[in-house]
Amino acid sequence: MAFRITLGQYYPSNSLIHRLDPRAKIIAALLVMIAVFFINNPVQLLLGWIGAIVTTLLCRVPVSKVLTAVKPVIYMLCILAFFNLLLIREGNVLVSFGPITITEGGAWGAILYSLRLVIGVVAAALLLLSTTPTEITDACDAGLAPLARFGFPAHELAMIFSLMLRFIPTIADEASAIIDAQTSRGGALAAGSFVHRVKSIGPVVISLLASSLRHASGLSRALDARCYEGGATRSPWHPLKWELKDTLAVICVAAFVGVLIALRFVIPFWLY
Amino acid sequence: MSFEQVPLSACLRHVTLDYGAGIVALDDVSLELKKGERLCVLGANGSGKSTLGSVICGLLAPDAGDVSIVGEHVCVDGTPNYEAYRSARQKLGLVFQNPDDQIVTSIVDEDVAFGPENLGVGADEISRRVTRELERVAMQDYAKADPTRLSGGQKQRVAIAGALAMEPEVLVLDEPGALLDVRGRRGIMRVMRELSETGVTVVHITHFMEEALEADRVAIMNHGKITLLGTPSEVFSHNDELESLGLEKPFATRLAERLRKRELNVPWTCSADVLQASIVQSFAHRGLVKQDSQTETAALPSTVAAETIAGAPQPQASTQGAAQPQASEQGAAQAQAQPKEQLQAAAIELQHVSYSYNRLESGHKRTINDISTRIEAGERVAIVGQTGSGKSTLVRLICSLELPDEGKVLINGIDNSHKRARRQLWGKVGYVMQHPERQLFAETVAEDVAYGPKNLGLAADEVERRCNEALELVGLAHRKDSSPFKLSGGQQRLAAIAGILAMAPNTIVLDEPMAGLDPQGRLQLRRILKSINASGVTVVQVTHSMESATHANHVIVLKDGSILMEGSPREVFSPANKALLRKTGLGIPKPLAWSLDLEEAGVPYLGKPLTTTELSDALKLSYAGSSVPSYEGEVG
Repeated sequence: MAFRITLGQYYPSNSLIHRLDPRAKIIAALLVMIAVFFINNPVQLLLGWIGAIVTTLLCRVPVSKVLTAVKPVIYMLCILAFFNLLLIREGNVLVSFGPITITEGGAWGAILYSLRLVIGVVAAALLLLSTTPTEITDACDAGLAPLARFGFPAHELAMIFSLMLRFIPTIADEASAIIDAQTSRGGALAAGSFVHRVKSIGPVVISLLASSLRHASGLSRALDARCYEGGATRSPWHPLKWELKDTLAVICVAAFVGVLIALRFVIPFWLY
Repeated sequence: MSFEQVPLSACLRHVTLDYGAGIVALDDVSLELKKGERLCVLGANGSGKSTLGSVICGLLAPDAGDVSIVGEHVCVDGTPNYEAYRSARQKLGLVFQNPDDQIVTSIVDEDVAFGPENLGVGADEISRRVTRELERVAMQDYAKADPTRLSGGQKQRVAIAGALAMEPEVLVLDEPGALLDVRGRRGIMRVMRELSETGVTVVHITHFMEEALEADRVAIMNHGKITLLGTPSEVFSHNDELESLGLEKPFATRLAERLRKRELNVPWTCSADVLQASIVQSFAHRGLVKQDSQTETAALPSTVAAETIAGAPQPQASTQGAAQPQASEQGAAQAQAQPKEQLQAAAIELQHVSYSYNRLESGHKRTINDISTRIEAGERVAIVGQTGSGKSTLVRLICSLELPDEGKVLINGIDNSHKRARRQLWGKVGYVMQHPERQLFAETVAEDVAYGPKNLGLAADEVERRCNEALELVGLAHRKDSSPFKLSGGQQRLAAIAGILAMAPNTIVLDEPMAGLDPQGRLQLRRILKSINASGVTVVQVTHSMESATHANHVIVLKDGSILMEGSPREVFSPANKALLRKTGLGIPKPLAWSLDLEEAGVPYLGKPLTTTELSDALKLSYAGSSVPSYEGEVG
């Protein structure tokens, strides 16, 4: 169970955000994720956080769900903050102890760079919480469709992506079952000397490969039985429909992002 | 036949199909499927059942012979017509064993819609079909759920809904219940009963003879040929042939045969209600039936049918349930009261063990909640409980794969909470998890089996000796140099079990070892476990089958992470516990259930039998006018 990845954790609801076209949501999330890298002063940070909180509320998903999605990234951000704290040497020295010097710029950087990335992570989490994997696949399919004219397998790639999302938890569960089985036969991945551990990887990988192949052959049988023949003849149950609200949503987010970036240049330097 | 009025859904004439290397999967098979009929295909593993299913649902074209399905001549004289196949396939549905492989999207209702989308059905019509089919399989509450978080039975029902949403004319179900628990299989059978009302032609491939009773026709396959074909009662009357094929007959048939051998006047039948009614009748003829109950016999058959075939829960008097905890405490007390076992260390002892998977989240439910029990060396233990009752977690705790949050796990008297102690215990407790064959990896069977002993650091000749011994025990010595991936499914499982046995464990823990095996495979494994146990190894088995739990000498019933009752099979499977076990979704062994039903219908006391032999002996004694003493002691 430990291997389960919180990818594609859709949370059913009927909020405004849930009803948006997945393409609009992907564009908006991408815009925000790019914009966070332009944040370098407190006013921007504050505005960004307000934006993240308002969107979360609009999305009507429990805050705990968003936090669960953000949690794994927090460890990474803490490490990042730690390095920023020690490596950035700008402004007045706050603490100096042997080789360690912490400056004002370092402290600020540690806070700013971590907190601004959280905004981007929240945007991604909200996208996945409010959009089913199928919708994301459909959006990618539609987005890449122009390339299909040049022989690019857009639909097939989208389908593979969606099957991947579907099978990650299954394979992950199997991997942990196989590791358990090998552990109880003394082939411990989690214990023993380094050489012993490396040697234990082989049996796990082979079993996992064999089981993936079994899944693949079962899956191909299932796809055949359900008459899957690629994109040509399919009639999507929920065809993507770009409506006025989607245009408005993208404009709103774009405007927000514009203001956010502009503040970087407008806010006087002394504030930062 | 072709002059008959009934339209045909499928027609196979002299169909032969071989996979190369001399493996003939279908050998000159001819079969006609009438529209709307329900055909059940039985046979051992490797008899060609699945191949027949694939041919009928248009996924495999034969090498020789003619096939026409849903009015399309898809294959004439061994030459497939791919265009015809393509259009025929739109009217054919397939559901097979592994539910994980059949679900292609990450949301339940999207998955049901996947088939209709491929057929180019309009969006409104898809919505209608998705709602209708999810309701039919009773999964409407899970429309937006993530399929990977559903139970196997639920996933399989989603897969059936997905096939039905394509509105097929023929639906092939290839062992849909093989990987499911009793409850999951029951759910599938309920769905199948509803299907017959829709007019879909159903081909049901299965290992479970009881499931065949409801079919219109039964086909028995052996070595690629259909050896028997007819109504269930026609087919099941071919005693010798069925026996030589290693197929288990339905319970009612077996009982009827035993009673006839004991010269009771009952007709040969495979129908539970006919047999029960005739037993009651023959007792009534001799004036052995209590008068006040006789009037009820007329009403009996229908309830009996519901119970023994479908196992549908019946409303029970709640007073029985209330009396229950007392009985279970008694059982536990009896099991612990034996003085000689207190002296030596138990094979496994749990002291107030609690465990939960997500300890950190507030408001969590404990998967295992304050369990204490002793498993003595040499015992044969059955752990029963519904899916989600914590069986697998309990087993993982016993095998030291998880450590308890609270309480202690002692193995041979050694506390496993210390890392050093755990290393000592390596190899002492062998763990055979569900579908152990999925963990095979080595180039040869012998190498795979040797993996465990090698890790124990044993000398090469000792490893080889143990390896040979283990393979001998499971009867695979002759296959030691072949690739494990080339073995049949049942052999793969035995090879995986040999890998555990080669570590010479004191205790072997098996999590549903019988799942997915055919009757012959189950019988073979049962024998192996018995001989391992006879040689002094403690055998702990998680099982869904109450009948197989009766062969243990210590039964632990789990419910919501706690021990509901515990004791010998006779203590646990007692008439007093019937209501509680039913309520837990488990039920009681069939012979006991029958004896209770018969007693209710007026037959004198039958002594609480747990096996078919006990039940038929009791019926004979009672029929002769003697009173039956209660059965005691170990179940044979």
